[in-house]
Amino acid sequence: MRVALFVPCYIDQFYPQVAVASLELLEKLGCEVVVPTDQTCCGQPMANSGFASSTEGCDANFSQNFEGFDYIVGPSGSCVLHVKEHHPSKKIRNSVYEICEFLMDVLKVSSLNAHFPHRVGLHQSCHGQRGLHLSSMSERNEKHFSKIEDLLALVGGIEVVLPVRVDECCGFGGTFCVTEEAVSVKMGQDRIKEHHANAVSYIVGVDTSCLMHMEGILRRQGSKVQVKHIVEILNHA
Amino acid sequence: MSAREQILGKIEPLAESKHPGAFQGASEEFDFRASLAVVGARVMTMAELETEFPGRRRYDKTLDGLSLAEIEVLEIDGEFGVAENGAIWLLEEALPHRVAPFICQHLVINVKKIVPHMHAAYEELGKVNSGFGLFLSGPSKTADIEQSLVIGAHGARSLTVVIHA
Amino acid sequence: MLSHAEASENFIADADRTDWHDETLWFVREKRDKVSKVLPEWEALREHASQIKDHTLANLGEYLQAFEAKAQANGITVHWAADAAEHNAIVHDIIAAQGSKILVKSKSMLTEECHLNDYLASKGIEVVDTDLGERIVQFRNEAPSHIVLPAIHLKKEDVGETFHQFLGTPKGNKDPQFLTEAARQHLRGHFLASEVAITGVNFAVAETGEFVVCTNEGNADMGAHLAKVHIACMGIEKIIPKRADLASFLRLLARSATGQLITTYTSHFHKPREGQEIHIMLIDNGRTRQLADPKYKNSLKCIRCAACFNTCPVYRRSGGHSYHQPVAGPIGSILAPNIDKKANVDLPFASTLCGSCSNVCPVKINIHEQLWFWRQDLMEAGLAPVGKTIGMKLMAFTLANPVIYRIGGSLLRRFAGLLNTRLNPWYKQREMPVAPQESFQEWYKKR
Ligand code: SF4
Repeated sequence: MRVALFVPCYIDQFYPQVAVASLELLEKLGCEVVVPTDQTCCGQPMANSGFASSTEGCDANFSQNFEGFDYIVGPSGSCVLHVKEHHPSKKIRNSVYEICEFLMDVLKVSSLNAHFPHRVGLHQSCHGQRGLHLSSMSERNEKHFSKIEDLLALVGGIEVVLPVRVDECCGFGGTFCVTEEAVSVKMGQDRIKEHHANAVSYIVGVDTSCLMHMEGILRRQGSKVQVKHIVEILNHA
Repeated sequence: MSAREQILGKIEPLAESKHPGAFQGASEEFDFRASLAVVGARVMTMAELETEFPGRRRYDKTLDGLSLAEIEVLEIDGEFGVAENGAIWLLEEALPHRVAPFICQHLVINVKKIVPHMHAAYEELGKVNSGFGLFLSGPSKTADIEQSLVIGAHGARSLTVVIHA
Repeated sequence: MLSHAEASENFIADADRTDWHDETLWFVREKRDKVSKVLPEWEALREHASQIKDHTLANLGEYLQAFEAKAQANGITVHWAADAAEHNAIVHDIIAAQGSKILVKSKSMLTEECHLNDYLASKGIEVVDTDLGERIVQFRNEAPSHIVLPAIHLKKEDVGETFHQFLGTPKGNKDPQFLTEAARQHLRGHFLASEVAITGVNFAVAETGEFVVCTNEGNADMGAHLAKVHIACMGIEKIIPKRADLASFLRLLARSATGQLITTYTSHFHKPREGQEIHIMLIDNGRTRQLADPKYKNSLKCIRCAACFNTCPVYRRSGGHSYHQPVAGPIGSILAPNIDKKANVDLPFASTLCGSCSNVCPVKINIHEQLWFWRQDLMEAGLAPVGKTIGMKLMAFTLANPVIYRIGGSLLRRFAGLLNTRLNPWYKQREMPVAPQESFQEWYKKR
């Protein structure tokens, strides 16, 4: 299966290991992975700040890089959601997948050669969850399901722990994290407090932006807890 | 131009969107007594009521709500109860005055009929064309101070229900 | 006036109180979860209520006229007001005709929106708010911070102090039971003496001309049934077509609001009692404008349950006053810009767009999507803070050009250390991510 890997700009620049793990994982699972080299950003930072009108250039560049692929797969729920909801091309909107969604719904992965013998706290990123419906939502009266937990269940040795507030937002929120700095940090601290109380060694999530925010707080607190994108764990032999 | 014409003039009809009709698929398994317990009402038999409120009484119709301000225990008849939420439908015709169930200190309501849920309740109400009616569920309450529940805000301090069914 | 961000920073400065506020409201959300999850038809009910509201909004003019005709036939006087000023003037005329100098009022967000209390005070008429929470904030000369729990920003110590000052309760007594009893006695005097009572309206039924008022305390009824004149104030969006429609709304309202099965009192006012006058105020105040915009018309479906407040992680940690509007929280943030774009430009940005609000909303308003739309409209209206437009344009330009993006990215990584300064809001309480030697694309080229 031919897949185009969508590497969001901040992952490209600051979290290359997430893109590497995505690439390796997809290849391991038999995909032919193409990495369009002139890709930049999906335009979400501008659009969520009220400047959707300025994202034409980003949209055009995205089209140029990803036109013609049936599967555009990215390791970031919020960037994928943005493309799915706002990209002008219908073909692209219908072809873009968040990586967990792709693994579960398209590849239908049922086993993985992965091992991660640690206690891990799961962070539900809102855009992956409420936007892309990667898992059931605590507000709704619906049957429990979670593509994320299903994938983690395929990892050997892992122990996944959910916080009590199982899907509360971490407070990253794009430019919100700086324009509403006080609330943003307080939300992040509160999420982390629960994971600390659960004595986890890692916080895992499907959105690197949430993890970057929580990592910033963890490091400032001098915590030993680390953050990992889910693909880093799924790719961990 | 009057405000009325102004407002109505500004309302453009929107694309039609159908009224969904009556709600289908309401569950029927509700327990009136359990709901009464949840909303803080007590259920008593006639005998228990005699011991608890020997001084209770019914009052005649009056036009003067203020004359009811000193009532300790008022006994009235409800039209029917709603199992899902412990609400009892009260109709003006069966009350001494509209303010009666609010202004008394303690309230006793007799209930003879129970419907499962609010959809059934409104079916029961049908087109009743009374001046005033209400669903009353439990005693008056508030949690406006630190979310701690206090019974007896402005209305009756207690509700006792006698079920004759 | 402080922006939401500034006011929130002040709120959060008291960490213990913020935690208390957050946990208390989260507890309310949990109660809502519990009662909604034992109803198998919950999601279907939301859909049903939502469709009734869609249908009503699509035919609002007709339903308003039908309601008016029925209400008049029932002996109720119907008034229309295009805006807050007209509303206040009409209400004043009614009170003046009665010659009252003091009156009781139960909760009505509409009168908050119209600043009725201040207006009447300027005419020498005292309004006594009778909802316990509203009375507390009224004594303190504050605005309600929550549409269902008006005094949720206060601790019992605060209330004890306020009641000591205004009602002469013993200093230091902060027992909720005791304080509530003191308010009961104090307000009972007002109920018995008032000739005019003002209430809000939860639902008005076009089919019958009746209107429904929901309270737990019984204050709306105590006021209305003892007064000679009852004035009920409602926005034009409170109409529903049929009496039977009330079933779905009432099943949803209290469960969503506080996790109760139904409010204690759900009163159906149909005709004035003998010797009484009932006046209904139908107010527009920007609603028709909202209705005409397909992006925002759904906000008029709101039944003011406040579930979106309780679930909002931002509201819980910033308090209602940080929204500087009578209706705070997520719904307030999409209503306020319709009234005044400039004054409320911060509100649609006071959200992470997490979407929890839309999920709890009993009438399925797409709140978080409307927040996003408002962001676009406000920025297009040229209301961006200084520098933001330039910054965004520069960013858009950079990210649209792969070559410039690559150069910019490597410069950013090389000099990331320079951002470790207090001037960088990120760095204030968070470390910057550690910049890697190579970007992914650089690594990939060598692979
Ligand atoms: S927007 Fe929805 S959740 Fe919020 S107050 Fe209105 S009805 Fe309730």
